Amino acid sequence: MPIYAPSLPPRPTMNEGLAPALVLARFDFRRLRHQKIGMFFGFAYAASLGFMAIWVYVRFLLKTNSALNGLDALANQVLVQGPAFQASLVTLGGWLTTLLWFQVAFVGGGVIARDTLYRIRPLIYAHPVRPRDYLAAKGLFAAGLPFLIQLPFILIPWGMSMLIAGVHGPVWATAPLRLIPAALLVSLLMGSITLGASSLASTPRAGFGWVLGIVLGLSALSTIAEHSLSQPALGAINPLALSAAWPDLLCGTPGPELGWIPALIGTAFHVVFWTFIAARRTQPSEAIL
Amino acid sequence: MIEFHQLEVRYGATVALNGVSLELGEGVIGLLGPNGSGKSTLLKTLLGLLSPTHGQGSVLGLRLGGPESARLRSRIGYMPEYDALIEDASAYDQVAFWGELSGLSAEQARDRAHEVLYFVGLDEARYRHVSGYSTGMRQRVKLAQALVHSPELVFLDEPTNGLDPDGRKRMLDLVLRVRGELGTSVILASHLLEDVERCADQLVILDKGRIKASGSMEGLRKMLARRYELRFLDALDEAQEGALAELGQVLEGRNGLYDVELTETDPSLPFRWAQDHGAVLVQLTPRHDRLDEVLVRALSGGFAPDEKEA
Repeated sequence: MPIYAPSLPPRPTMNEGLAPALVLARFDFRRLRHQKIGMFFGFAYAASLGFMAIWVYVRFLLKTNSALNGLDALANQVLVQGPAFQASLVTLGGWLTTLLWFQVAFVGGGVIARDTLYRIRPLIYAHPVRPRDYLAAKGLFAAGLPFLIQLPFILIPWGMSMLIAGVHGPVWATAPLRLIPAALLVSLLMGSITLGASSLASTPRAGFGWVLGIVLGLSALSTIAEHSLSQPALGAINPLALSAAWPDLLCGTPGPELGWIPALIGTAFHVVFWTFIAARRTQPSEAIL
Repeated sequence: MIEFHQLEVRYGATVALNGVSLELGEGVIGLLGPNGSGKSTLLKTLLGLLSPTHGQGSVLGLRLGGPESARLRSRIGYMPEYDALIEDASAYDQVAFWGELSGLSAEQARDRAHEVLYFVGLDEARYRHVSGYSTGMRQRVKLAQALVHSPELVFLDEPTNGLDPDGRKRMLDLVLRVRGELGTSVILASHLLEDVERCADQLVILDKGRIKASGSMEGLRKMLARRYELRFLDALDEAQEGALAELGQVLEGRNGLYDVELTETDPSLPFRWAQDHGAVLVQLTPRHDRLDEVLVRALSGGFAPDEKEA
């Protein structure tokens, strides 16, 4: 038998809280922290970050320790410290980018689909939430998460390098100025594809399938188009190629796989198209019918 | 409190609300109608979730579909008919979340979530995930989220759906407490007549997107009090049967037994009529309709909206 309160205290003061978009985004971030998948990716990123920190320190030792001079010559051939090395801080030779894509598919696939599954979107819109607040909140989560993950991969090695060796360290002093915009563009690309895919799905699991389907499907399509038409610029259809291209382009790696123009057009198209799909699929009328 | 004129809402080619005009004051308003009659559409329109294709209206003094829709929704609570719960969160977490979304600060929302969950009788279970809750508990979480920001008006869409008799009684007790203790007006959409009869002091009957009848429950009860069964000694002749309409609306009648709704509440009228028309009235039995009979009559067209007030 439930115990009921005698009554409720007086009405609280309203309109003192955060903007609805921030409340929604914060709820999604908090939920992720308690999920097993969130813990798994947290461990994977922490391990990668630790590995990277050790790598930067080893590079410093090879440079400065006379006992390791012989090894340094070898290391200079293997571990180049030019633009490719800088770009690899946010790609880890493709490992981090692949892990990020898997993470946005696993976690981001449910960002809208979970609301569809639990049928809470009409209830969200029954509160002072406009469709653009909802989309902004989901976008903030979907793009903010990969960005927040990439940020320590840029800042920690850079900080270590600056502390240990100053401006002559293995990481350029200007690396964050190049890598943070790259991370932002990659995150926008990942976030918008996740939003669109998740809005098409009715469950988080289906959302995962949609993200992978879109990314791998477009990758296959671009490979076919690229080779059959002999147009390397068509690689810009491929979200995987785009996410790998931005760090290279911004760091000035010689011979990037995609040029500036195809990368810009491809990224802009994906961001606009998938955000449009998500906006259409999350209108209040869609939430009701 | 709620006012709308010639409201029309369409889903593509389907007209869900067809020229609905109504004025409703504070209190508990029962919204009755069969499935698909337009109850949920009306609630969603009042919430600003659906835009009227025609007509206009206002809720709590704010225009429907206008730029103030968001402000209006912070003053309204909504308990949907279906399960709209975040299954992987505790009742406390989600009620606090809905409170914040309504405009409360994080601290206020947390305090209020405790209070409102205690109010609906979920104090001890509030930290458990709702996926493990019974139907009655789930309904109470939905009610709690609708009340967390202390709205001036709350829309309850089929709040007793799926509840056993005991759970239903408790839910209706809560609805009455919401009105009585918190002073919040309630719109109770239901197809269960007993629920509306128990809680409402105003009634709106909807069918096929149109208002079939509306008015105060008091007025309705007075109108029901005018219905009598008249038994005459002999069957009435054609002229007498024709003249019986002077008393009021003849709902049913044959072989000297007539079911009449009098135009006035004075029960001596039938006797005077019998004397004037040479008939012998041997029995006058008050036949107070149950609400379900009124609904059936309203839906079959025998209960015009202008009959609403006694």
